[in-house]
Amino acid sequence: MTGQDQALADSRLAFLRRLFSNTMIYVILCLVAVVTIFPFVWVLFTSFKGPNDPIVSVPPQLIPLDPTVANYIRVWNQLPVWRFYLNSILVAVAIVVLNTLFSALAAYPLAKMKFRGREVIFYSLLATFIVPPVLTSIPSFILAVKVFHYYDKLVSVIFPYLVTVINIFLLRQAFKSVPDDLIDAGRIDGAGELRIWLRQAFKSVPDDLIDAGRIDGAGELRIWWSILLPIIRPSLATVAIITFVEQWNNFFWPSLMLHTDEQMTLQVGLVALQGAFLNDARGIAAGVVMTVVPMIIFFVALQQQFIRGLTGAVKG
Amino acid sequence: MSKKLTPYLFLTPALLVIAVFVLYPIGAVVYYSFTEYNIMTPPEWVGLRNYQQLFRDDIFWQAMKHSFTYLLVTPILICLSILLAIVVNRKLPGIQIFRALFFIPVVSGSIAVGIAWRLMWDTNGIINGILLSLGALEEPIQWLAEPAYTLPIAMALTTWLGLGYYMMIFLAGLQNIPEELYDAAEIDGCNAWQKHWYVSIPGLRPQITFVAVISSLAALQVFNEIFTLTGGLGGILNSGVTMVFYLWRKAFRLNQAGMASAIAMVLLMITLAFSIFNMRFLERGTEEQ
Repeated sequence: MTGQDQALADSRLAFLRRLFSNTMIYVILCLVAVVTIFPFVWVLFTSFKGPNDPIVSVPPQLIPLDPTVANYIRVWNQLPVWRFYLNSILVAVAIVVLNTLFSALAAYPLAKMKFRGREVIFYSLLATFIVPPVLTSIPSFILAVKVFHYYDKLVSVIFPYLVTVINIFLLRQAFKSVPDDLIDAGRIDGAGELRIWLRQAFKSVPDDLIDAGRIDGAGELRIWWSILLPIIRPSLATVAIITFVEQWNNFFWPSLMLHTDEQMTLQVGLVALQGAFLNDARGIAAGVVMTVVPMIIFFVALQQQFIRGLTGAVKG
Repeated sequence: MSKKLTPYLFLTPALLVIAVFVLYPIGAVVYYSFTEYNIMTPPEWVGLRNYQQLFRDDIFWQAMKHSFTYLLVTPILICLSILLAIVVNRKLPGIQIFRALFFIPVVSGSIAVGIAWRLMWDTNGIINGILLSLGALEEPIQWLAEPAYTLPIAMALTTWLGLGYYMMIFLAGLQNIPEELYDAAEIDGCNAWQKHWYVSIPGLRPQITFVAVISSLAALQVFNEIFTLTGGLGGILNSGVTMVFYLWRKAFRLNQAGMASAIAMVLLMITLAFSIFNMRFLERGTEEQ
């Protein structure tokens, strides 16, 4: 065999080997994908099954042969599903906006100011991480009934989440990465120095930053709002997405608080639906689909931000 | 004057919320745990009685055992998600779609998915349907009415829900490992598996620690999976009752806030011990970097 033949044989072998390993990879990927997707597909099909489609049979029939939307209509008629949606959106949006704002307020001094008690506050906040949420739920429940009188009212599921320690820490990390001289420039004088600094630091200077620079010796709140928040916007988006997903899927506390149909969020409503449609697998499946689909659409639309947001917390 | 106050003003809203919803509750739970308290009438001091009763309570020990058993999801999740991360860490056509697909359970929420799983594992559910038609079963199994299966199914659900999340964390870790390390391993004669064993696993050490901490704390606090799979009842013969589930039942089903607070204190102590153990681990992990 000549050297050339040898090389050809080698490259063919390498090609075959790669083909084989890639095929194996795809086989594994498809298997995992089936396991991941199957419950969703099954629920989706079940939710459209008519009375003549068996839920289970041997062999199993997956696809409805007698498709109908009656299950959705039945659920929609029996429970105020639109209220569940409205409540879930209201709660999640209110918490995302207020929580991000309050957490960002608290994060700024912890990242960038020196003051008495900073260490104590920082470590106390850190320590709260180990407190199981279920522990705080007992006194919080009593507070809700006896002090705040918001049992079975929507505010009861917003109030306790106005600030979360994890968000303070994530945003503190973001503020820390903003250079000190930038903040000092904002503090000392306005226009000239700050603008030069920004030109050097960033290729494009956001408009609000220049505006901020125009104000001589901007106050801390002004610096926070006009200089820092725009800079850490990606982190704010991360925090907002994590918070939104968490709140949309939050169940434990809302289930303790919300009991009348009009007050329920989707998750609580879904459990109520499960109770009301005890032996109606088609109806329950329709409820599951209605609960899950908005989040999946939201996820597909914002995939990259989601993944970055939810896994980015690792480095924080 | 105002300059000195500024940082505190920034912190005020956050500290108020945390004081009311985290700090005060901790103190209150300590106090309640020494009382008999049905929430309607004022708490009544009973000293250590709740703790004494608790340690004589078979269901409590059972719950503790179940919670510790549940910690098995941590090594399972770590192994499976590292394997999956290695598989998806390739530049192949369509790989992005698979990665996104695997992430879907993470965002879809444990309640909805748990309810779907309950339908699937029902005696008349699809799992039995598949197994029967494959001939793996002679007759249907009552999966959710069989005490031995409650916890394993719940743990499978937890694993299924978390796999995509932890996969992404490990994927990010893998992508931070310099390519040269793999090249060097290849020169040293490592095959594909050995490369991962000697390069990927040590390189993922910080992520492994992180996932171990997060997933074990989550496992100790599991509730939604148990709640949905057992229809809020905790399973036949309390076979799915974990510490958090037992706490919930005592506090919010049986109105025994004092007893529930005692359980909460035990849970806090276990979490604390765990965190200290994990911190030690974490510190050692970062020192080696």
